[in-house]
Amino acid sequence: MSTNTNTTHPIFSSYERKEGFFDEIFDEKGNPKEIYKKLFEIYGGHSIEDFINLNNKARASFFNQGITFQVYGDNQVKEKIFPFDLFPRIIHPSEWEIIEKGAIQRSKALNLFLHDIYHDKKIIKQGIVPAEMISSSENYLHQMMDLDPPGGIYNHVSGTDLIKHSDGKYYVLEDNIRCPSGVSYVVCNRTALKRALFGVFNHYKAHTVTNYAENLLEMMESVKPHGVDIPNCVVLTPGIYNSAYYEHSYLAKAMGVELVEGRDLFVENNFVYMKTITGPERVDVIYRRIDDQFIDPFEFKSDSSLGVPGLFSVYKQGNVCLVNAPGTGVADDKAIYTYMPDIIKYYLDEEPILNNVHTYHCSRPDELKYVLENIDKLVVKPVDEAGGYGVTIGNRLTKEEIKNVQEQIKASPRKYIAQPIMSLSLHATYIDDSKSFEPRHIDLRTFTLLGKDTEFVLKGGLTRVALQKGNLIVNSSQGGGSKDTWVLKK
Amino acid sequence: MLARVANNLFWMGRYIERSEHTARYLNVNYFSSLDAPNEVSQSRQFVLRSMLNMVGDPVSNPNTHLDEKEVLHNISLNQNNYYSIIASVKHARENANSARDLISTELYEAINKSYHFVLNYPSDFLTEKGLYDFTVNINEMMAVLKTKIKGTLLQDEIYAIIMMGVTLERAIQIIRIINAKYDDALEAKDEHSAVTNSFEWITLLKCAESYDMMRRHYKKTPNNINTLEFLILNPNCPRSVMNSLNELYHHIQLLDQNKYHNKDSTSFLVGKIRAEYEFKVIEEISDQLKDFVENILNQLISISTKMENEYFNY
Repeated sequence: MSTNTNTTHPIFSSYERKEGFFDEIFDEKGNPKEIYKKLFEIYGGHSIEDFINLNNKARASFFNQGITFQVYGDNQVKEKIFPFDLFPRIIHPSEWEIIEKGAIQRSKALNLFLHDIYHDKKIIKQGIVPAEMISSSENYLHQMMDLDPPGGIYNHVSGTDLIKHSDGKYYVLEDNIRCPSGVSYVVCNRTALKRALFGVFNHYKAHTVTNYAENLLEMMESVKPHGVDIPNCVVLTPGIYNSAYYEHSYLAKAMGVELVEGRDLFVENNFVYMKTITGPERVDVIYRRIDDQFIDPFEFKSDSSLGVPGLFSVYKQGNVCLVNAPGTGVADDKAIYTYMPDIIKYYLDEEPILNNVHTYHCSRPDELKYVLENIDKLVVKPVDEAGGYGVTIGNRLTKEEIKNVQEQIKASPRKYIAQPIMSLSLHATYIDDSKSFEPRHIDLRTFTLLGKDTEFVLKGGLTRVALQKGNLIVNSSQGGGSKDTWVLKK
Repeated sequence: MLARVANNLFWMGRYIERSEHTARYLNVNYFSSLDAPNEVSQSRQFVLRSMLNMVGDPVSNPNTHLDEKEVLHNISLNQNNYYSIIASVKHARENANSARDLISTELYEAINKSYHFVLNYPSDFLTEKGLYDFTVNINEMMAVLKTKIKGTLLQDEIYAIIMMGVTLERAIQIIRIINAKYDDALEAKDEHSAVTNSFEWITLLKCAESYDMMRRHYKKTPNNINTLEFLILNPNCPRSVMNSLNELYHHIQLLDQNKYHNKDSTSFLVGKIRAEYEFKVIEEISDQLKDFVENILNQLISISTKMENEYFNY
């Protein structure tokens, strides 16, 4: 069932509202919602030709700036632009207040949880989170036991993935507290939209997003090692071939700090130094965009050439701060996600502000049984894969595929969780093929910084769009695009 | 500034400069040969050999028959060929990529644009009708890059290192061009014309974009002596070896702030080499051009090696 919108604007003529989903722009009668009215009027006033033109300009600007990501194919690496949609997503201040408070609450609870499981493990002793959830996790690092990171912070940078369900409420789908990426696109999207359609900003007062870098630097400086006066902060990247390299270079440039690779750093007498043209220079805080397993070949993966030999031992001495701390991955695991409401209550004695999606653990026999019998109604996810890989959506599978999924789950139940199919909300998105706006599913990634006595949520975020009709997976590696996201001022 | 990034920026400068000279050599030699005055100079095989000689891949067997399309493709667009223009532009961009946080957005975008231009240039079109268009575009794009380097970067040590790369490579390429055209002049001489045959010397000057200014300076037809003097020793000719040495000396001063130079420093070495050529006369060179070429190339390479040890190798 679908109904057309009440509009005569040519670029909205193929917009068909879909029943059963929350439409961000149009109400049930097909009229634009209050907050989008003005925007809809402005966009509707453009001819199709105008729009194609604007769209091409925005694209060329991304391409020439080299804001691209790489997709790993069979043999070759391809360079692609992150598709950008010119129709922004607007978030009302009252809605944002909840998101912001909820994101901080989750970050704080996760930080306390990490401290606990790497120290006394009270939450396990009290039976709130089962011990095997920790011990069987690949991301649990025994090296972190009893270690106190500078400033007491583990998850300095968190990316929280949210969706709006058919009930109109936000749900958290995932916490990302290893190396969440995407914040540079938030800034680029804003820049591109400002260039293409500056006039629209006269009608809406949106919060800026360019203050992320200064807050990141402030946060990094707050977690400086003991005894350091003015810390030397750097960004550590795996190198120019990494898919997020643009972001690494953007952050370093915007903070005015050095962008280093592992081979630029070395350890001597329990301190970390970088090799400059005038000799060694001490480094105090490292925002590392390299996964745990690669940061130090002495302590972790021994054949890693991306990291710095001896780095972890300096960290252990408290002479350098790593952002985020190693071993945070144990807490953003999709299996731990399901305990988040309990974790929040346990540490903060508060009700969770943001909703969690109900989750079935295939590791529990009764829940496993339900999952195996209802695969067609569920999304099945591997607990430890990033980037949308290995996710199956039940209602799109053939009988044979369902069988395959059942076999996979039976082979290693601990590896999988299942959730009801969430109905991601829809937003008007310009589609090349039809040369008009069509509804597409979206989510929202917010960025939260946690430092010593400081916290910050970027007022905005990355709205990701699944560009293929009906697709619910929004990751860029799966053909997703993004939108500028406006958080309106009160 | 990180030592690795300094090294990358040094090479970015070198690759930008290298692309420009290779493109110009192809352009000038190919198009001037079309109506060259003598048979040898007009022969396509002669021109193709000269191009390969200049890029450092000379053909030693005189009986080898060269395929025009293959040679042009190899020097311009063959990605697997270390001396191709596309390889140089690609390296320049890769080096710029690794220092994106240090260079200006304007410079980066211009490099990125050039890269996409070369990457998308169809090889068939180039070898059939696009040679002029391609080489002229490369030349202009590289000129834009150098303007962006001079016009948008902070003139600090980052700038000094890039400019060291640009000027060192310029000197090297000019010498390679002189060497290749000198060989051509020897080969093209017959009983009617001497080594002083002006045609090859004019081509040489055009390869260095210095023909008009040379005429203005000497008011004479180019011959071996005045051409070499202009391109090697004249400090006011922006493409001369002497000019490059002066520029190198200027930029190493920005990098090395010591008043009294350590005798083991790059700064000292550049000053020493520069002093040697500052007080040379062309007769010392023109009689033994081959020795000069070998000697100066070794000296320039020693500057590069010294820089590596002093700045890039912590």
